[in-house]
This record gives sequence, C-alpha cells and structure tokens, in this order.
Amino acid sequence: MFTYDADTPQDARRAVRARANLVLTNPDMLHSGILPHHTKWLNLFQNLRYVIIDELHAYRGVFGSHLANVMRRLKRICAHYGSSPQFIMASATIANPRELAERLIGEGVEEVAESGAPAGEKVFLCYNPPVVNPELGIRAPYLGEAARLAARFLKQKIATIAFAQSRLATEVLLSTIKAAVADRTGDAGIVRGYRGGYLPTRRRAVEHGLRSGEVLGVVSTSALELGVDIGHLDVAVLAGYPGTIASLWQQAGRAGRRSGRSAAIFVATSAPLDQFMASHPDYLFGTPPEHARVNPDNPFILVNHLKCGAFELPFAEGETFGDADVRLHLAALEDEGLLHRAGDRWHWASETYPADHVSLRTVTTDNFLVIDTTARDETQVVRRQIIAEVDWSSAFATIHPKAIYLIESEPYEVQELHFREVEEKVAYVKRVSVDYFTDAISAKGIWILRRLADRAGRAYQASQGEVLVAEKVVGFKKIKLATLENVGSGEVELPQQEMQTTSAWLTIDPAVLERVSPSREELVDGLRAVTYLLHHLAPMFLLCDVRDLGSWLGDSTRATPGAAVDTVQSTRRRLLEADRFNPTIYLYDSHAGGIGLAERVFEVLPDLLARGLDVLSSCRCRSGCPSCVGPVNEVGRRAKPIATAILESLGA
Amino acid sequence: MHTLDDLRRIVRRIDQSRPARPAAEPIETLVGGALEDTEHGPIVSVRREYALDHRHGATAFDSAFSAAPSLLGVLTRQGAPAGSVRRLLFLDTETTGLAGGTGTYAFLVGIGFAEGDRFVVQQFFMRDLDEEPALLAALAPRFAHADGLVTYNGSGFDVPLLETRFILARRRWPDLWHLDLLAPARRVWGVRFTDCRLTTLEHGVLGLSRDDDVPGAMIPALYFDYLRRRHAGALPRVFSHNRLDVLSLVALTSWLARALGSPEECALAPEEYAGLGRLWERVDPERGLPCYRRALACGLSGAEADRVRLRLAWWEKRRARWDAARQLWEVATGAETFDPRPWEELAKFYEHKRRDFAAARRVVLRAVERARHTVAGARARQDLDRRLARLERRLAASR
Repeated sequence: MFTYDADTPQDARRAVRARANLVLTNPDMLHSGILPHHTKWLNLFQNLRYVIIDELHAYRGVFGSHLANVMRRLKRICAHYGSSPQFIMASATIANPRELAERLIGEGVEEVAESGAPAGEKVFLCYNPPVVNPELGIRAPYLGEAARLAARFLKQKIATIAFAQSRLATEVLLSTIKAAVADRTGDAGIVRGYRGGYLPTRRRAVEHGLRSGEVLGVVSTSALELGVDIGHLDVAVLAGYPGTIASLWQQAGRAGRRSGRSAAIFVATSAPLDQFMASHPDYLFGTPPEHARVNPDNPFILVNHLKCGAFELPFAEGETFGDADVRLHLAALEDEGLLHRAGDRWHWASETYPADHVSLRTVTTDNFLVIDTTARDETQVVRRQIIAEVDWSSAFATIHPKAIYLIESEPYEVQELHFREVEEKVAYVKRVSVDYFTDAISAKGIWILRRLADRAGRAYQASQGEVLVAEKVVGFKKIKLATLENVGSGEVELPQQEMQTTSAWLTIDPAVLERVSPSREELVDGLRAVTYLLHHLAPMFLLCDVRDLGSWLGDSTRATPGAAVDTVQSTRRRLLEADRFNPTIYLYDSHAGGIGLAERVFEVLPDLLARGLDVLSSCRCRSGCPSCVGPVNEVGRRAKPIATAILESLGA
Repeated sequence: MHTLDDLRRIVRRIDQSRPARPAAEPIETLVGGALEDTEHGPIVSVRREYALDHRHGATAFDSAFSAAPSLLGVLTRQGAPAGSVRRLLFLDTETTGLAGGTGTYAFLVGIGFAEGDRFVVQQFFMRDLDEEPALLAALAPRFAHADGLVTYNGSGFDVPLLETRFILARRRWPDLWHLDLLAPARRVWGVRFTDCRLTTLEHGVLGLSRDDDVPGAMIPALYFDYLRRRHAGALPRVFSHNRLDVLSLVALTSWLARALGSPEECALAPEEYAGLGRLWERVDPERGLPCYRRALACGLSGAEADRVRLRLAWWEKRRARWDAARQLWEVATGAETFDPRPWEELAKFYEHKRRDFAAARRVVLRAVERARHTVAGARARQDLDRRLARLERRLAASR
C-alpha cells in the first residue's frame, strides 16, 4: 500500500507505480499526475478491481463536476487496459447520496443507507448566550461561552471537540480554553488546535494524541469534520452554525460512542442566521440536509476534460464521454487547433500538457509561507523556520503587516509580507507576548467591465457580461483575548485583490420601486432579501453549489481605474444617498474567468424570479428565515413583504 | 480558456459545411525517401549511407565502431553492452512537444547503425497521427535485433517517450542497454561550456556548424502546420536536423572512445582531462589519476583544480603516500571560496599521523579565520570548534 500525491518524493514514485497493490491518492493527482501518464501505471490499470471514493458529499458543485469528468477519463483508461473496476463510495448524510454517486461515476449504484454510527444516547443542546445588555440586546460573546462550556467538560476529563467557523476563531477559542484548563504549572497540553495551514507534522501529532488519549480536547475548523481518524469523543461544542445542516450533523457526529451518553452543544453567535437557528430549533431538526448537485456536462468543464482525455487516448468516431455525446465538442476543439482528426480518431495535437491548465479547485496553489525569525542566530545566517502556510485568498486578511497571527494560540506578529509577483510569497513573523489578536476589516466592490447580452423586461433590465470583483483589506481591529473587547485598530496599505469573472445582473426600474415603497431604506432591505433569495435558489437551476456563486447588491457602475471598494455599510449608505437610485443585483461566478454559471443565470432569470415568488408565498415563516429571504435580524422585519412586492411587480 | 460563446460560435461554424482537406503532397519524394510496407500499412522511410570512416566535422566515425565495449561501459553506470558495438542503434526523435506523458507523439524517428562497411541513417516519418502503428511496426524489429541504444538526453526524454508509445500500442518495450551521452558529456564539458546542448558540443568539440538548421523549439509547430494544412515545405529541414543529430551522436561517441582509450595521444583542454579523470575514476582509478595529473599539469585552475586536487589527495591518502597528499591539501586550502575539507584533512593528518598537536592547532586556527563570514564556514564552525577544543586538551595534557 502506498500514498501517491504531490508530497511523494520523485525517486519513490517509480517504486510505487511498479509495486503498489493499493494506491492512496487524491483527485488532483489522478487528474494531473496519474491519468496523463497511464502507461507508467500499466500494472495498476490492467488489474484495477476497486475504486474507492470517500467523503463523496465533498464532491459537489463545480468541484464535483470536475471529479465526475475525471472519473469518465479514468473509466476510459481502464477500458483501454481491459479492466472494469467496481466503485465503492461513502458519503456523509446528504439529501441525495444515490443521485450524487450515480452522477459522479456515470452508472447505477446500490445504496446502503443503514447508519453504522455509534448508537449510544445523545443529547443535542442549542445554547444561546445570555443577554448581558438588555437595552441594546447584546449577548455574551459566543466564543467565551463556548470556551467556558468546553473547559467545564475538559476539567471533568471528558473528551471534547470544539468547532469554530474560521481559522481565527479557532485560535481565539483555543487560547481561551487553554487559559481555563491550564494546570498550576501553566501547562494546557491536554487541549490542542487543528486547522488548515498547520504543517503536516503538527497535524499528525495532534491526531495521534487524540487517538492515544494523551490529548483530551481539540479545537478545530471544519478540517476535522471529515475523514481524519481521531476516534470518538464525548462532547462536541459547535461555536457558531457551520452554514449547512449537513455540516452541523457531521460536526455533532464527532461526539458519540457505542454505549453511554454523549452530547453536542450548538452555541449561537449573534449573527442573524445563528440567532434564527437558536430560536427555531425545530428548523434545525426538521430541515433535511442539503442536496449535493453536480453538472458534469457543464460545457466549460466538459471541454477542459475532453482535452485531457484526448491527451490520454485519442477519441474514436462516435465514442461518448461518460454518457455525453461529444461529437460537436471534439469538432470545436479541432477547429481550435488542439485536436487533429486522422482516420476515424481525434488525436491531441498540441505541445501543451492540458492537465496543467485545468485546476479542479478554485483555490490557487500559490501559498504563503509563514517564517519565524525570532531565532535568527547572531552570525546573521538566515535560519528559515517555516511554521505555517496560508493560502493566497486569505493571506491579506490574516498575515498583513502588524497582524497578530496565532498558531495553537501562540501569538506571532507579522513583520513583513512579501506578496509581489516576482517575490517568493512569505510572511516574516516574530514571537511576541501580547494579550490581543487582530481581525481584518475588508471592503468589496463589483464593477461592470463589458456588457455581453441584455434583455429588457417590463419592469427591469437583465444583463450578462464581465465584471471586476475586488476585495481589499483596509485595516484591522485589535481585540483583547480574555474579554474580546475592541482595544484599538490600525490601517494597512495592501493592494486590492481583484478577480475578473462573469456575472448576470438585474437593474430594476426606479419608477417600479417607487410604487412598492416610498422608503429607500425599506427598498434596500427588500432588495437585499431578494439578492439572498436568488443566490440561494439559483444553484437548483444551475446544479452547482451555493459557494460557486457570489452575490452583491450595488449599482450599475462601470469600472473606472482605481475605483474604491466599499464596506457593506458604506455601500448601503451610498445607495441610500445616491442622486439616482438604480440598485442592481449581481449574481456572479466565483470562479475566476467564469465557467458559464452567470450565462445560465441570465437565461433562467424569469424562471428564477417566478420560483422566488413561489418560495416566499409558501414559506411559513412570519418575517423571513434562512430558507427564504434570510434571517429576519439581517434583512429587517419588513424585508419579506417588500421582497414579495418587488418580485410581484417584476411580473414574476 | 475559451468562453462558452467561443464554443457556440465554433460549433456553429462546424455545423456549416466543412471544406475538404487539400490532398497531401507526396512527402516521401520531397525528402528523398520511399514508402516501406509494414504489417500496419506503409510508412515513409528515408535512408542515407555514409562510409564507416566518414568525417563529421573534425571527427571521424571509426573510433566509435572499433571501440572495445568495455570502453563504452566507462560512459554509463550500466557497464559495457552485452553484444557488439556494431549492433548499437544511434537514436534521435522529433516530437510534437516536450510535455511528455501520453499525448506527445514521436513523429520522426531516426536511427543510425553500421551495416557492412557502411553507416546507415534510417528515418521513419508519420504523414499523419494514425500512421503511428506503422512507424512502431517498422521500429520494433530493428530494436529487437539491436544490442543497445545511444542517445543524447534519451533517458530523460526519447526513451520513456518511445516506451510510452509502445505500451499505448500494446507492444512490449525491449529493455535495451542504453548509453545516454548527456551524462558523460556533462562530466567532460560541464565546466568548459556554459551549457551541454548537442549544438554547443558540435560547435566547441566536433568543429561543426549547422547552416540553415531549424531550431528544435520550432519543430512541433512545423509538424502541426504540415498536419493541418499539408504545408510540407519546411519538412526537409526537419529531416536533416534529425539526421545531423544522429551523425553527431556517432561523432561524439567516437570522440569519447578515442579520448578515453588513449588520452595521452589527444591534445585536450585541461577541463577535458579532468572530465576524463572523473569518468575513469569510477571504473578504474589507475587510469583516472593520470588524467587528473595531466589536467593539473596543463594548467587547470580555479574551483575545478581544487576539486581534482582533493580527489587525487584522497587516493594518495588511501595509499598512505602522506607527503603527496599533504602537498595537495595545502594547495587546496588556498582556494578562493572556503572549503572545510582540505583544512579538516590537514588537521587530521597533523593530529593523528604526525601527532603534532601544535601544528594541527595552527591549521584549525587558520581555518577558523578563513571560515569567518562565509556560509560554508558557518556550517563547518561547530566541527572546527570541537576539533580545536580537543586539540587544546591534548596540548595541555602533553605539557
């Protein structure tokens, strides 16, 4: 048995290829390393009996659509070598595991739905932190409450896992729990942290400690939600709603043993969504887990994998790709000068290696290294002690200069951040002794670059085209660790992170809006509600995941060089104070460059609006819930009726 | 990446009528070849013959074919070929790219071999990608009867690529003895030239310059152009590029065989003697050390000279010829960039052989002084400090 992934040393790879009976790998390696070199794996492909895909539910949306195409390629190659492996898949609870599995591998499956999870008694608690300021309705900070609960269990020697919703929250929660459980010598080693960005050695040590029982508690992001074997624990504390019902049960499921009692506690944040869940536990228990949707035939994704497939084996006349008829696609690629038809086959005819240009995930691999310089020795020979990695998309928010970066609750201050294109991407940090952490303040903006299609409705204009989405970290708050009070702030000078993508947008005739309500404020709330509704409904039409789309309520401004980004509050203010009130709802593709989602939104918009109105009229909540316009505290009391009126006036 | 609109536009365009492809020109006549029949249909084959003592640039071929197999064994870790040097295939491929993997084709394969008193270069060319089975069918029996392959960078490129093509066509790849000349070329010329590309060696060693040559990087594009538009005008130059590569392989083998066999008879550059020393040292130090000495005698200088001195000193030490070793180490301590090894050897020599602790201590102190402010010095510092402390103890004890 061997592991074959990006970390496998070059000189070990030949041995793995020749000798492995069982290969552990990941979709990315299969896609770019194994399939394009299948002749080197002759032995494996000739004898392949089983393909096992774990954590099936993770392969949804665009990522899942990519995986389904990688499976099409895998099956083609197996057929070439005369093998026909059986697929075995395992999924966490989702609404449609059978459908997802069948779409991913392109054939029928037999579903085994009995739960093998521990069946001891389990208590699920919804905990809403107490109101500490009745006048302003302020509740006790949820992280402090979650820490207090977790510490109480740990002190009783009860194995506990705490989940936080971000990497920063994980560190803060860990730090607070450690302070509470430290023994007289100050040692709090019984509780550890776990999240993406830690070096593999640190993660393996924590996993091992949990299995052996040396580590009693762990604070983690969703990284420990899946896969990793850490044994079973007694209590799960969920600091904040993880965003989906499926994740909620996955996290809660980390607590539970064959016999005896276990508990999961959901601690609500003050965010509207969490407050809604805490006050409507029936919603938590009654709502089925989300559907996982994939669309392997998305032309953008399909065409990219056809290139990879043609590189691997020429396509024969009349050959299908999975169940997709690809004759037109192959002809199009021939016209593009990438394929060449000879005899009755299409051959790859380009100098490039197509898998290098197709990434299965949106995240770039361009990571920042976090380097501790505290221990540079006196001879000034630079010692590079790498202590963590941070992915590109979150780097500016977490390792900007002067940020406090926490690793297992140890604070490091960022001295320098090297981010320019020509530079190696690194952050130099120094160990410091401070009692606060930093939380970045960011701003966002979206501008139209090019309008490609228009459709004028009776009361609105729908468009589709290219947009620029920009985000920028403009400053940070300093927050005291023990009390979570805001104790200061700072500004940072960082470039804006920009992405060009495709978007559909909808601008409503101001006269129509005026008839709905005379109050701009009410209208903005109602439009935000419509934005939320459309964003959460669109994936059903597009067969993608909610995260594959972004949404934004702005106005229809064309991009001007150096346009300034806004925070959510200032955008709202700008809309309210504008001379001309022309609010615009954007639904954009979260994948740089776009993969056709925005075009689909534009096409199905009338249906989408109609479905939105259906949902509003059939949703039984009084003034907004996460299943329709979003939680009431976020969008306001009047949002649901206003949103209904807006959709009605659009002729939906 | 092309957009959905591009795709729609393209597909619309194909939906309309497709123009018929212009008929291919008879390429085999253009390149002076003929069609050869195989069990998978015809393949374009071009054959050129040369005398066995043909001169390619300043180098004659014959040393390659008269060389003892053991001499070629010096050039590769695989040792000597099992059969006859006259049954080696000199191989070079022209491909549709450098990406490797299953989507790169070898569209033109040139092989050179001795046949009676002639040297033959035979090239096989696919007129379209579906002629690959015929190309492989033409190659397979020739590989089966060969005793080995000689290539330039073949272990990194040509050979795995052909192996991939064979496996894809469900053919068994013959695991032949293989001499990749790039590795020995790096040993012999890596110091002398800024790169070890074949054309660099042709110019600097074989005394050859190519006129009107197609740059290798352009070749895939020329072939694709031929595939799509049947423009064959540039192809004769691609054939001659490939043929020159094969001829240069023979000339290079000939040069190396002659130089390895009787270095004293060749007037070589000092770096080349040092390189021959490196090649011989691994197989037969008795033949390597004279090359090293000759390199120094011819005025080898710089870091390469110090490297040669350390190798020579290592062998002198093994034979307990301490004075010769000490002299070499002493010269090597004068190297421009700090290298801890000669210092360490000298210190060991004085401490353990001469048992002259004071002299050893002086060597270490000088080394510490030299080591300061250098990266290699920072790394060696601990060892030096440890050695110094031990010497101080021994000096104190002997007082």
